[in-house]
Formats: sequence, structure tokens, C-alpha cells
Amino acid sequence: MTSMLDAGPNNDSGDPSATDSAHREPHIAATRRVRRTRGWRRALSGGEASAEIILLFVVVQAGAIVAGLLFKDDFAYLSRANVSIMLKSVPVLGLLALGVGVLMIAGEFDLSVGANYTFSAVVAAKLLTEHNLMPVVAVSAGLGVGISIALLNGFVTIWFKIPSFIATLGAMLFWQGAVLLVHGATAIRISDEQGLRSLFAGSVGPIESAFLWMLGFAAMAYVLLHRHVLGNRLYAVGGNAASARAIGISPTSVKLIAFGIAGGMAAFAGLLATTRVGSIQPGQGSGLELQAIAACVIGGVALRGGRGTAIGIVLGAALMFIIQDILLLLRAPGYYLNMFVGALIVFAAIVNQVTARRASQADD
Amino acid sequence: MTDSFIADRAPLLELRGISKSYGKVHALRGVDLSFVEGELVALLGDNGAGKSTLIKVLSGLERPDEGQMIWRGQAVDLNSPRQAGRLGIETIFQDGALVDGMSIARNIFMGREPTNRLGLLALKRMRETAQRVLSELVHIDGIGSCDRTVGELSGGQKQAVAIARAIHFQRTMLLLDEPTSALAVKATQALLDHLRVLKRRGITSVLITHNLYHAFELCDRFLVMNRGRVVFEAAKADTSIEELTGHVTGVPAGHSS
Repeated sequence: MTSMLDAGPNNDSGDPSATDSAHREPHIAATRRVRRTRGWRRALSGGEASAEIILLFVVVQAGAIVAGLLFKDDFAYLSRANVSIMLKSVPVLGLLALGVGVLMIAGEFDLSVGANYTFSAVVAAKLLTEHNLMPVVAVSAGLGVGISIALLNGFVTIWFKIPSFIATLGAMLFWQGAVLLVHGATAIRISDEQGLRSLFAGSVGPIESAFLWMLGFAAMAYVLLHRHVLGNRLYAVGGNAASARAIGISPTSVKLIAFGIAGGMAAFAGLLATTRVGSIQPGQGSGLELQAIAACVIGGVALRGGRGTAIGIVLGAALMFIIQDILLLLRAPGYYLNMFVGALIVFAAIVNQVTARRASQADD
Repeated sequence: MTDSFIADRAPLLELRGISKSYGKVHALRGVDLSFVEGELVALLGDNGAGKSTLIKVLSGLERPDEGQMIWRGQAVDLNSPRQAGRLGIETIFQDGALVDGMSIARNIFMGREPTNRLGLLALKRMRETAQRVLSELVHIDGIGSCDRTVGELSGGQKQAVAIARAIHFQRTMLLLDEPTSALAVKATQALLDHLRVLKRRGITSVLITHNLYHAFELCDRFLVMNRGRVVFEAAKADTSIEELTGHVTGVPAGHSS
């Protein structure tokens, strides 16, 4: 965030639609014009533009649906089985990405969310199966572990002033090892606990409950980021921590809350996945942290923090799966999936950079 | 403008023997100062004189090693910007302490957001108030909607937003660290006008600047710092640009390190 300002003579009129005149009328007219053109964006995203990802999502989705209708047999995008797979597979990454995205908006990373996801689920599963605790206790313990791990990451990052990238890279390896320490390398099967299964793995009509959980958390993330006072402070701290501090916001507490949210969402995603599958593998969560960051970047979250939207994060996660799904339906070989998703991430980062630069002309 | 400098008014903020070192560097060495309500003070001095450290101490970003601060007659410990904010002290840094990625309205209410009991933002009120603040308190051309992000604004417009924010929240003391250094000529003139508005509203402003002409045009009182000490202090009526220039460039010697 440098503020190297170009002291050119036209510096005062950054907006070409606004006249140099001091009269009120043109001033207000310009205001109205800006408001009208941006109104639909604001309606969709709650103040922070996320038009690019919405557009991309709609185009890809529309293309896939049209192709699915035209070539019902060759491209089974709209088949019941395919839609069901999509609704099942998006939520776990979507939930993780929501937590990671909130943290990224606050300007930090957590590379240990994948390991956190596994460790929290393993703790909950062990409490459930070996100690016969009530599901509600086991689930609460799992969430508590997830939040604690992330808060520890936040504490180490902030207290010792090291990059969260490094602090949580260490944490990732640490908690991956800790899974093997507390349980060993075998899978844990959880018995058919009715309460848990109907909550996390049931369905409401044709829609998986996991998907509903994701929608619920997406709505909460939307309110948090775009409507709540904490959201305002997350953007402030991630966008310019020095400014936020100068105005009396404590970056430390805001970042710690963001770490806690990321950890809680990781644990929740782990519990959800474990319940749905009925077991948890020790290596299950590894790689998810990078996918979650990728989903956020595709969804328009800035790597430097301060930018991103709830709707963008969810659509970013969905888009990663949709594109993989389309490639699978086209019978593309497996390695194409990674190549394509990899290219998409870089493309998204470039788009983010360009839009961020356009949004702050004065910064050039 | 000269009649507004009233020396016998009770001081708003007094500093007594403020010292601050960074390792072996003595940034401030026993600074004694006082500011009264509604005055515009210029803080002058060459690079490394200790001006920025002094501003950081006043804004609660740095804690002095020694010395006392007295706010309206009571000793205070400014240990955080939040604490300074509670007293009504606000700092406007070069970037105006704004966040580029956020809208103007959200920036104006940053850290002081109006909310309901659940903590949800009163967005409509924020937007309306911000629009009113921008059109009434400071006159800025070409800002348009307060839904625009601050990053879209020019340097001068950013400063204006920061000043509008300070006026709206009725700050008692404003610290401006080199506010004009990045501005175009026209924007600088607008900023100086905004500072006059502040003064009319009884807000004490401390202006750090390298531009002695701006300072002299605008301020009631001048403080010149050198090597962590206040080496010269004068009201506008008692000094001249030439005298100030002499003190800033270090003609009065005798302060060995």
C-alpha cells in the first residue's frame, strides 16, 4: 500500500464523469450516475464489487447447462447423478474457503486448515467411538480444537511478528504429524450415530444437508463481512493495518478473531465430511488448504488482504468443482484437471490485480 | 488571524520533559510544550529533528521513555491510538489513515461504526451522513458518491475525506504529518482552506511541514525542532519567514550530540 501520488495537474479530478465545476447541480448529477451504474453490483455483493466472478460463474454455468440440454447423452451435466455429486462435493471446500477467505481479507493466511480439518475430526471421532461421549460433546470438542489450533497460529504470527505463511506452514506439518501421534495411520470409522448423520449427512428433499450448511454459513459470512461492524474492521485491518491502528482499531484482536473463524470453519468442514463418509483418514485434509486459498483467489479475494466478498468465495469454490466436473464429463484425462485449475488460479490472480489497480488509480 | 492566538488560555495539552530513544538514537530529549484550544501550530525542523516521533507520541503510537503528558490539567498516559482517540486526538498521516479498498462512507466511520444492538451496520445512515459530511464540512470537487472506494480518489481528495471525518467526529486536536507533501498545488491550497475551517471550529491542529511558506501563511505559532529538542518557539507576530528558515536550517548552533 504505497501512496506514491502522482502530483500531476489533473490530480484533483480522478473521476472523468465529475466536472471541475464547484456548482452543486452537476455534482449531484454525477453522484446519481455513479450510483445507478454501480447499484446492481452493490445489490449482489453488499458494497464490494464481485462482478467478475459472478459473470464467470454465470457464463460457465449457462454454457454447461446449454451443452447438457443439447447433448444429453454425451454430456450428462444435468443428470441427477451429476447434480447430486456436485451438491455433495462443493460444501466441504466451500466451508473451508469461507473461513480461509475471511482470514485472507484480514490480511493473513492459514496453511494449516487442512491439517486442522483432519485433526479436529479425528479428535471428535475418537471421543465419539472410543470414549462414547455424546455427539454434541464430541462435535463441540472438535470445533473447540479447531478454533484453538487457529488461535495458536494467530498468536504465534502476531506476537512474534512472523509471516502467517511461515507460521502456519509449520503448523500444517505439526498437526499432520499430531494426527498420526494421537491415532496412528489407520482410518477411524464412526458408528451410525443417528443424530449426527441426520444433521450433517441427511437431506432436505433433493438437497443435501451439507449444501444447506454451506448456504447457511455463506449467508452468515455475507452478513459478517458486508453488514456487520466486525466485517468493516476485517477489511480495514487487511486493507491497511497502519490506518486501522491509527484510527483506534486493534489489528491484533481483529486478526485473532479471523484466525478463530478460519479454524472453526476448518473443524466444521472436517466434521461434516467425516459424518457424511462415515470415516476419517489421517491424510484426508492435506492439500485442502491450497484448494481453499485457490477458491478464494478465483472468487476475487486479494492475496494482500482487504478485498473479497462472501459470494465470490462460495462461487470460487463452486467454480473449481464445476470446471473439474465439466472436464470429467468431457472425459479429459486426469492430469488436465490440475493443469486447468492451476491455469485458472493464475488467471484469477491476474484479473484481481488488474481490477484492484483500476480501483485505485491514485495509487499508481 | 493574529488575534486568535491567546497565550493566557489554559492549555489543552502540555508535555513536560518528554524523551524517547530508539536504541542509541535519542529521538526526543526532554521536550516541553503546550498547545491551547483552537490554535494552529506548525511543527518545523529538518529531517531527523524528531517531529515525526513527537507526533507518534502525541497520537499514542509510541510511548515516551520519560516525561509527562497533561490533558486539560490531568496527567494522562497515551498508550494506544485508541486512548488518544478517546481524548479526541486524531492523526492524519500522509495517506490520511484511510483504507483504499473500502468505500468513502465506510472509511469515514471506520472504527466508530454506527450499529444496532446486534452489531449490524446502519449502512443507510452511514451513507447519508457521509454524503452530507462531504458536501457540507469540506468542499471537495469531483468526489461524487460516497460509495466509491477511497483508492479511486486523488491524494487531495483523500486528505479532504480524512479531514471531514475528523470534523464530523468533533475531534479536539488534529495532528497532520506532512499532509501536503504528496499533493498538487491546487489540492494543497484546498487543504490549507480545510485547516482554516478546522480552526474556525475551535479544533487545535498541529501541522508538520517542510514548506515554511504554507506554515507561515496558515499557522498562529511555530515550533522548530532540532536533534530531539524544541530549539525555537514564536507566535506569528513575533517572527518572520527568514528567522524561521534560519532556525530550521540550523544556523543557531550549540546543540552538540
